[in-house]
Amino acid sequence: MASATIDHMVSLIVFIGALLIFIGLFSQSIQTANVYERHRALSTKTSDLLDTMLLNPGVPANWGQSNSDVTGFGVQDPEFTQYQISPFSLMRLEASNGNILECDKSSPNIYYDDESLGSGSTLLIPVDQALNYSSALTILGIKNTYGFQLTFTPDITVSITENQASSPLSLTLSATGTGFPFAYATVNYCLIQVKLPQSQAEYPAYTVQSGDVTTDQQGIANISFPSITDPNQVYAFVAYAHLNGVLGVGYHTRTSSNDQYVVPIVQNMATQQIALAHNFDLNGTGPEGSSLKYNATFVILKQDFTLSELSFGAPGNLSLVGTVTSGRGNPSPNVFLPPTTTGILIVTYQLSPTQGGIVMMPWGISSLAFPVTFGGNPQGQEWVTTDLRQVTIGGVAYQVKLELWDTTGQQVTT
Amino acid sequence: MIRTIEVLFVIIIITGAFIGASYFAVLPAPRQVSPINLKRLSLTTLQVLDSNHDLSKAAFDTNDSTTWNSLQVALSASLPPNILYNLTVYDVNTDNGQLFSPVANISNAQSLGTTSDVSTYTVASSNVTFNVTPEKIGENSNGGTLYILNCSDANGWWITGYTSQSLAQDLYNLLSPYFVKTVMVQSTSQLAQILGGTPLQGENLRNAVIVNTYGEAVPIPTSYCQAPYSNNGYAYYSYFLGQTVNLYNWTWCSIVGYPFYYVSNTVSLSSGQNSWGIYGMQMTGQGGSRAFLEGLNNQAYSYNSAQITDSASRIVTLTQDSINYCNYYGIYPSTYQTSTRALSNSTLSSYNLNVASNVFNPSGDYLAGAIYNHVAIDSTNITGSLLALGLTRTPDVRLTGLSLLSYYQPRLYPSEYTAKGTSRVVVLELGLAGGA
Repeated sequence: MASATIDHMVSLIVFIGALLIFIGLFSQSIQTANVYERHRALSTKTSDLLDTMLLNPGVPANWGQSNSDVTGFGVQDPEFTQYQISPFSLMRLEASNGNILECDKSSPNIYYDDESLGSGSTLLIPVDQALNYSSALTILGIKNTYGFQLTFTPDITVSITENQASSPLSLTLSATGTGFPFAYATVNYCLIQVKLPQSQAEYPAYTVQSGDVTTDQQGIANISFPSITDPNQVYAFVAYAHLNGVLGVGYHTRTSSNDQYVVPIVQNMATQQIALAHNFDLNGTGPEGSSLKYNATFVILKQDFTLSELSFGAPGNLSLVGTVTSGRGNPSPNVFLPPTTTGILIVTYQLSPTQGGIVMMPWGISSLAFPVTFGGNPQGQEWVTTDLRQVTIGGVAYQVKLELWDTTGQQVTT
Repeated sequence: MIRTIEVLFVIIIITGAFIGASYFAVLPAPRQVSPINLKRLSLTTLQVLDSNHDLSKAAFDTNDSTTWNSLQVALSASLPPNILYNLTVYDVNTDNGQLFSPVANISNAQSLGTTSDVSTYTVASSNVTFNVTPEKIGENSNGGTLYILNCSDANGWWITGYTSQSLAQDLYNLLSPYFVKTVMVQSTSQLAQILGGTPLQGENLRNAVIVNTYGEAVPIPTSYCQAPYSNNGYAYYSYFLGQTVNLYNWTWCSIVGYPFYYVSNTVSLSSGQNSWGIYGMQMTGQGGSRAFLEGLNNQAYSYNSAQITDSASRIVTLTQDSINYCNYYGIYPSTYQTSTRALSNSTLSSYNLNVASNVFNPSGDYLAGAIYNHVAIDSTNITGSLLALGLTRTPDVRLTGLSLLSYYQPRLYPSEYTAKGTSRVVVLELGLAGGA
């Protein structure tokens, strides 16, 4: 009787122990399957969401060229179909890698999202006119459900380095794709050579020298300009590398005034108003009353990859000249750009007869092939899915990457 | 002891079940859990390569190694380094019985691994012109004539910036492919001939369309510059026109402004002017349209100077049907137009006119652009029609063309895209490097 009881007890304990172990084992398999399903669904969502963003222009369709509130998120160019992206809508996205600058020109101070890319080119958008990540999540209907980061990267990286400063000016251009050198590509370039007048009554001006070369097997081309004999010559160099429909843009500038310069700032996307500010007005980096003479021009890229000047407002009004002075009592001069035409705002400026510079601002993100990063930070997320598309923005080839993650808080250990 | 042994048996069975289940429930590789959508990446890559039609050129120039090397460089530069590709061009409709046959291929790997996907892209040869043949309006019925008033001895009004002759030429270019016969009425005497029932070039007189390119003015032949046609400021002439439209079941097109507001003949009315300094013209006034409608309705003439429009300025929009026909016929006027002479629908309906086609969305009782059919009481037959575009100057004749085409709806017959040598299919297969 006692042995039967012991037998029952031992068998029961062993059975219950085994049952618990097997429940754990099966649960782990089921949990792994659930994780797989969730990750698979996240991947599908990534592809769908990316197409949703890229294949509709948003609401209103011209939100990139206005200050109106965005009620539908999409970045497709409303003038085109398929994967052609609006260069203006991307300008209104608050860059997740941009700095916030404070302009103390007026009261209260205005804050700008700094999407500038290196020296010689700036893109500052008023924070209150930029679409931020939180609003985009709400508009897309995925707030508290998913997080994302949307990245637009030019397919072709065109980098330019200066080998020799003068006699001749020698530049090396390197064009590289995302996975391969851009070999034997045609490169059309423009050298914008700034002339700094000696007279106080005159304003800086520039001349454009165009040409073309072909990259070698490594995607490299050397260009020299014997006419540049002054090592302090101020210039900007813009290059367009293209091959079989794939277009990349690169630029390089040299200035002789590094502590003072003009900063074009987008004041109003709807009216295309651009203010020309002194850099001392940004973040209070300098004293009031410092002046720079400037000459502003807007150029567009023609089909033959040469630059053509476009007038500001009145016909024949190809450039605007004046003086930019730092300080609250000195209003910034304004220029107005065309509403639908992409191009480059070129501002040459002069501090003294020998010191000056040139700064460029893309009107339409693709004009200088600016990359765009919008959204949250994927680092530290439990599982991030990625999808890719190829798009064209203003004729420039870009690769779009969407990274998506779950923010519902479901943690998984596999 | 037996119970413990039984439990051990149970454990063995469950263990077997777990091992069996684990064997069949194979977890997929991580890249299969969250794959890149290679199909979409492939399609968008092809679209970028063809953004300047370079892919189309390369697909038809497969023997040019330079072109194909460039294509391979562009393709390699566009794709991420871990993407393998295989691009193949297929010819369509070859002679050997196969629908597709490969003509060229480039690849950066021998194998695309276990995960790959493919997109196809059809390109057309630049050497081939794809024709579209329109159906002729009236080719299966007794009609199909388009008269465009191009009278050299008449002046127009509210066509500022244009001449009637330039408008007539534009309309001819736009609409003549859709009609069996297009006749330019070169003088008021030729207009008198067709008003008298005599064809100019052997065309069908009945069921014709007459486009008045003179805006608010209507050319008047010399033989009609007398009583009774000159009664009430030539309103009776408009009445006669209405009767003639009814008689021959014409469609009369007024391209801008207030219809039948003036009559014009630079010879017979040379000393008169329209009160705005344009000589060779006589103002009929608001009664002109009423008189035309009375004639169209085949009722007795009774001069009535009450207006049939108001002068309110309205921003009007094309109807959805009109926008659809814009796409179908490839005519793209602005969808927003300004109307200052929109016709009162209720007024026109009192003349037994029914709206057959709305060009613009109605603004209350007022229609800025519509085609009205006259259907007499106790009849189902259409006896004359009126296209009235009550827009402000200056006219856009594309709207006239769009109005007529959306009313008659002639079909378009495109040439076959699959004809031999005209199309090729580019297939881009992408895979991921690194095996499964």
